[in-house]
Amino acid sequence: MSTGDSFDFDLVVIGAGPGGYTAAFRAADLGLRVALVERYPVLGGVCLNVGCIPSKALLHAARVIDEAAAMERHGICFGPPAIDLDKLRGFKDGVVAKLTGGLAGMAGQRKVEVVEGLAAFTGANALDVQSAGQTRQLSFAKAIIAVGSQSLELPNMPWGDHRLMDSTAALQLEEIPQRLLIVGGGIIGMEMACIYEALGSRVTVVELTPTLMPGTDPDLVKPLQRRVSKRYTAIHLDTRVSRVDVADDALFAHFEGKHQGREPFDRVLVAVGRTPNGARINAAAAGVEVDEKGFIRVDHQMRTNIPHIFAIGDVVGQPMLAHKATHEGKVAAEVCAGQKSAFDARVIPSVAYTDPEIAWVGVTETQAKAQGLQIGVGRFPWAASGRALGNDRSEGFTKLVFDQATQRIIGAGITGPQAGDLIAECALAIEMGAEAADIGLTIHPHPTLSETVAMAAEVFEGTVTDLYIPRK
Amino acid sequence: MSKTIEIKVPDIGDFRDIPVIEVLVAAGDQVGAEDGLITLESDKATMEVPSPVAGVIREMRLKLDDTVSEGDVVAILEVADESAAEAAPSPEPEPTAEASPETSPEPETQPTPDADETRRAAPVQTPAAEPGPGALESGPAADVDEPAAGVAGTAEVALSMLPYASPVVRKFARELGVDLTQVTGSGDKGRILREDVAAHVKSVMSAPAIEVAAPTLGGLRLDFPELTESDFSRYGEIEKQPLTRIQKISAGHLHRNWVGIPHVTQHDEADITDMEAFRLANADEAAAQGFKLTPLVFLMKAMVASLKKYPRFNASLDADGETLVLKKYYNIGIAVDTPEGLVVPVIRNCERKGIMELAAELAEVSARARDKKLKPQDIQGGCISISSLGGIGGTAFTPIINAPEVAILGVSRSSMKPVWNSAEFKPRLMLPLSLSYDHRVIDGAAAARFTRFLASRLEDLRRLTL
Repeated sequence: MSTGDSFDFDLVVIGAGPGGYTAAFRAADLGLRVALVERYPVLGGVCLNVGCIPSKALLHAARVIDEAAAMERHGICFGPPAIDLDKLRGFKDGVVAKLTGGLAGMAGQRKVEVVEGLAAFTGANALDVQSAGQTRQLSFAKAIIAVGSQSLELPNMPWGDHRLMDSTAALQLEEIPQRLLIVGGGIIGMEMACIYEALGSRVTVVELTPTLMPGTDPDLVKPLQRRVSKRYTAIHLDTRVSRVDVADDALFAHFEGKHQGREPFDRVLVAVGRTPNGARINAAAAGVEVDEKGFIRVDHQMRTNIPHIFAIGDVVGQPMLAHKATHEGKVAAEVCAGQKSAFDARVIPSVAYTDPEIAWVGVTETQAKAQGLQIGVGRFPWAASGRALGNDRSEGFTKLVFDQATQRIIGAGITGPQAGDLIAECALAIEMGAEAADIGLTIHPHPTLSETVAMAAEVFEGTVTDLYIPRK
Repeated sequence: MSKTIEIKVPDIGDFRDIPVIEVLVAAGDQVGAEDGLITLESDKATMEVPSPVAGVIREMRLKLDDTVSEGDVVAILEVADESAAEAAPSPEPEPTAEASPETSPEPETQPTPDADETRRAAPVQTPAAEPGPGALESGPAADVDEPAAGVAGTAEVALSMLPYASPVVRKFARELGVDLTQVTGSGDKGRILREDVAAHVKSVMSAPAIEVAAPTLGGLRLDFPELTESDFSRYGEIEKQPLTRIQKISAGHLHRNWVGIPHVTQHDEADITDMEAFRLANADEAAAQGFKLTPLVFLMKAMVASLKKYPRFNASLDADGETLVLKKYYNIGIAVDTPEGLVVPVIRNCERKGIMELAAELAEVSARARDKKLKPQDIQGGCISISSLGGIGGTAFTPIINAPEVAILGVSRSSMKPVWNSAEFKPRLMLPLSLSYDHRVIDGAAAARFTRFLASRLEDLRRLTL
C-alpha cells in the first residue's frame, strides 16, 4: 500500500537501533517504501554496537572466570586465568559484527534503503541527511523518529582524557585498570563492575542514593550487594563525586556525602544515566514538539503532535530499554501502514545482568505498598531449589506479587543467576491474566530454576510441599 | 492551627459519573453539620451530599455539571470543632426527592463514557517525570533506566482493574474498535475471549439496526409519516413550558412500555358498600393516629390475596423473553401525583402489614413523594402497581404497565348504582376497576378471573382471611 507517490519514500525511519530497524523492517514487510537513516556506518544502534550485546559477551566471559574460580572449593582447580585481551575483544566484536552484518543483509532483502548520515528535518515532509560534507534531501509521507539516547556526562570531569570512560568506552576494553572507579550503582554501572572485577580490576562503586539499583525492591538487591561487597574494594552509598582531577599517573576523584576524601584511580567509568537525543534533529522544522530534556511526547499509537510523524524508543521516555523500543517500533510501523495497532502492553520487564542477575516486572512490592494495593506475595528461596544448590548458587529467590481479590499475578521479582530468563514467564503470566493456581498447576520441568516460579505461586496459595510453612 | 478535611462523595449506590445539578455552597461559606453542599442527579433520584461536620468551606472542588463517582472530593472544609472531625463519619448521602414513575426497579448503571482501555493501559511515558539531564547537577545519579516508569499501567490503573483479556484479544478488540470495559467475558471468572468480542460487536451492530430499520420490526411496518412541526402561534397566543425532569424521564418510560408491551385492559366493578361502611367505622381510629384510612389500603390487601392466588401476575418477563421470573414477595407500587409529575413509591412486603400499618406508611410515603424526599430505594422493587383516580372521577381508564411488572390496576371513582339482587334493585356502592396486563404473560381469561377475585375480596373483606 504505497501512500503518496509524490514523496521519495512512504516512510523514513531516523535511527537504526533496535526500535528503528524493527520499525523499518516491519513497515517494509507491510508494503511501504522505506528509508532507514543511520549516522554510523553500521546498523544496530547503541544496543548492538556499544550496549546490550557486547556487554553480554563480556559478562559471559566474566561468568566463566568466576565459576571456574568458584569450583576450586569443590576440588576443581584451573589456576588463575591467562587473559588475552585482544582475543577477548575480538570475540566481543565478532558477536557484534555477526548481528549488525545480519541486519544489513536483512535490510537489503527487504529493499529498505539505508542512508548513512545525520538527519535533520527541513519541513513536515522532508529532511536532509548529511554525511562527509554531502547533503541528501529525502521527502517522506510519514516518519518515525528513533534517535535514541546517549550517556549523561557529569560536570567537573576531564572529558577528553581517555581514562575517563562512558559505557561505550568501557566496552572497548582498552585495558584492565588496576583501580577502577564506577560512578553510578544502577544497571549499567553494576554490569560493568562485574565484568572488570572478573577480569582483575579492583572496583570501587559510588552511588548517590542509599541503595544500589535504586527503584528495585530492596530484598532483590540484597544478594547482589552481599556478593559484591565482599569482592569489591568499596561501595560508597549516599555519596557523590564532585570532581575528578587529572594527574599523570592517576585520576583523583573527590567524594562528598557519606564517604569523603580524594582518592586515586587508574580509570573512572561514569554510568549515571542516559539523555534522549530528541533535540538533535531539528524537529521544530517539522513542527514536532520536543521538551526541554530532549524527550518527544507521543500517544498510544506512538504519534507525536504531528499526526504523520511518530517517535519510539529512548527518545519518547523511560524505561530506556531495547525491548520496549522494538515493541513500539512495530506499533508505529503498523500504524503507518494503516493498521489499528497501539501500545497496550501492560508490563515491561527489567533485567540487570549482574551476578547474581536481578529481574523484575509489573508491580513491585514497594510500589504496591506505596499505592495501598491489597496484595499477597509468594516468595520461594532458592536455598530450597535442588538445581540452585547444584549450581552452587543458592542465594537467590523468586517472588511473585498477586492481587489479593482476583488472585491474579500483577508483579514479579527474581534474583539469582538466569533471573533475566526466568522473568519472561512472569511477564507472559501477567499479560494473560494468570492466577496463582494457573502458574502453580502448570507443570514445570524438574530440576530447573523455572520451578521456583511455580513454587512461589504455591507458596502464595499455601500448596507448596518443597518448603515447610507453619500454619498461621 | 485548625484542621481541614476532604469531603468526598459517599456511597451513592450503583451510580457512576452522575452530574452535579446544583452547587449549594461556595468557598468561604459557613456550613453546619448535615448541611447540603451539592446536589447530584442520577437517573432515578436526586441526592444531596451533606457536610459531615460544621465548619467553613475552604475550597469547592466541583462545579455545576461536573460528573462524579464515589470517592471524588467535593470540597475542602476547615473544621470548626476539631474533636468533631475525629469522629466524623463519612457523610451518608441524603437522597431527596424526585422519583420517576413507570421506571424499572433496577438502577441502570451508567457505562463509563469513553473508557478506552488501550489508552488507559498504555504505558506511554511522560518524560517530564524522568531524571533527564537535570540530574547532572546532583552529581552521581542512578542509571536512568530505572524501573519506575517501566511498570506499565500501574500509575494510572491498577493491573488487576484492567479488562481480563489476553494481549491478542486486546489487539482484536482494538482492531474492531471495541472498548473492552463494555464487553462481558464468558470465560472462566469473566475472562474475555475472542468470541466475546465478536459477540459484542454483533450485538452492537444489530441493536441500532432495529431503530434504523424500524419499518420492518417483526414483520410489522412502523414507518409512520413524519409529524411536521406546527407553528401554533399562527393560530393564537401560546406559551412554552419545559417538561420537568420527572416528566421527561417518565415520558420515555411510558412510551417504551406502551409501545413495547401488548396491553389489554380488563374492566370490572366491585361492590364496596360493606367495605365502605367498615372503613368509615374505623376512620376515627386512624385519624386519632394521624392518618387517613383510604379505600386504597383495602385494595392493597385485596391485591396481595389476588397475587397469591394468581402468581403469574406477580412476575416479570426475563430479558430473553423466554423465562418468567415469579416473585415470592409482595411489594406494591402506588402512583402518586406530585406537582413535578407522577411518581410510584413502592410499599414493601404488604403481605406482612395490617390495614392500619399500610395506611400509616402510605400517608408517610405520599407526603415524602410530594416533598421530593423519596430515596432511590423507595421507588425500586415493585411487583405490581395501583393507580387510583378515585378521588377525582371517571368510570374507567387504561393504565400503562410499569415494566418490568406485568400488570397494573387502575381504580376510578366509586358511585352508587342500582344493583339487581335477583329479587329487587338495591342501591350499592360500586367501584370501577381497570386492570391492564401484559398479554405475553397473562391471557384474557386469567385476567378476568384475577379481577373478579380481587373484586370479591373487596365485596366481603372476611374473604381476605381465607
